[in-house]
Amino acid sequence: MEKQPMETAVEQPRQSEWGLNELMERLDGDQELLRELLVMFREDVRINLEKTRSAIGTGDYEGLSRTAHTMKGMLRNLSMGAAAETAAALEKASRENREGDSRELLEKLVKELEGILPEVEAQLAGVGL
Amino acid sequence: MRILVAEDDAISRTLLERTLQRTGYAVISVENGAQAIAELGKQDAPRLALLDWIMPEMDGVEVCREIRRRKGQAYTYLILLSSRESKGDIVAGLESGADDYLTKPFNVDELKARLRTGHRILELEDHLVEARESMRFQATHDLLTSLWNRGVILELMSHEIMRSRRERSCTAVMMCDIDHFKSVNDQYGHAIGDEVLREVARRLHNSVRSYDMVGRYGGEEFLVALNKCNPESAVSRAENLREKISARPIQTAGKPVSATISIGLALSSEFTHSTVEEIMHQADIALYAAKAAGRNCVRVAHPSGGDKPTEEQPKETQVLMP
Repeated sequence: MEKQPMETAVEQPRQSEWGLNELMERLDGDQELLRELLVMFREDVRINLEKTRSAIGTGDYEGLSRTAHTMKGMLRNLSMGAAAETAAALEKASRENREGDSRELLEKLVKELEGILPEVEAQLAGVGL
Repeated sequence: MRILVAEDDAISRTLLERTLQRTGYAVISVENGAQAIAELGKQDAPRLALLDWIMPEMDGVEVCREIRRRKGQAYTYLILLSSRESKGDIVAGLESGADDYLTKPFNVDELKARLRTGHRILELEDHLVEARESMRFQATHDLLTSLWNRGVILELMSHEIMRSRRERSCTAVMMCDIDHFKSVNDQYGHAIGDEVLREVARRLHNSVRSYDMVGRYGGEEFLVALNKCNPESAVSRAENLREKISARPIQTAGKPVSATISIGLALSSEFTHSTVEEIMHQADIALYAAKAAGRNCVRVAHPSGGDKPTEEQPKETQVLMP
């Protein structure tokens, strides 16, 4: 079977691409709002990753697609472009019941989020001072 | 201005809330489509709404359809929030009743610009509704006195008489005419005459119950219909109207002008086999009787009196007051 382009992307770990400047522009420089959103993000990422793992475990691709959609919106809003695109690909793959792709994309998303979360923590520590 | 934000994702919702608040909006936030429908159905609902496309319970497209199904409410400007993948569905979104769409993550300037478009549409709608209401008022009311005009008062009274027949109740029809009105115009001019007409209209209108009807029948003639009127108190109520006019002079821009009215009263319960036109005719005959009896008085039409009154003392009228 021919490999799909998204599967090759899984092979190459990417660095976090958090467009913080773009985000701050959208927030009109509001540091307090940034902090509020990042605290929400930290919690929402945890909840949504749990949901995706549970959905993939039970073969609930509709639920997986819904959660991936939510994550995509959240990541885009916070200018976390690369992870947002992975979430978008996961949403599409799970909507089409592509189990293998869904699993790989979820792992890729987890790695990308693992790259972003320390930056978020650092930002929270800095902003919170 | 108030705006509704319906978005299930907390981050997106918070971002929208703060951006809109900074722009000067009072934001009402909900988390799903069902809550959006409930908010938009309230009496003083926001006229602008930002609806996420995909939400639990009811999505944004369904909310648009439901809002557009509702008739008689002020227009609500609906903007759908969609992700980039949904572009192919945008036509379906707009056809469901959305006015516009915005791609997430939104650009602040684009959001503001699209909301300004919404404001323009809502302002235009307000102007159109205002113009329609004004035309409706002008088509149904007398321009000088703001009472019902002749066509409308006749129609309303006709319906009321029919209803009172079905319910075996009584509608009191009063034809009222300002006495010697021509001499008011001759002596003080038409501008003062108009002031007298307006004040008589105001006093008549303020002297009846909210569900009674007063209209300008023509010139200095007014038609009053008292719904569900006790026949035994009809004469005293007519007397009360007459006294409201004669009790004190009318203060005009020129000088105080004394005015009186004569009233011809016909009770629908006394003319159960007559048409509305015949009842009107009887009230008219009674009015002439009141004029003939010296004016500033009430005369009641009586069904046993025949239909060819003499000029001085119509047989149809029963003189109840000196």
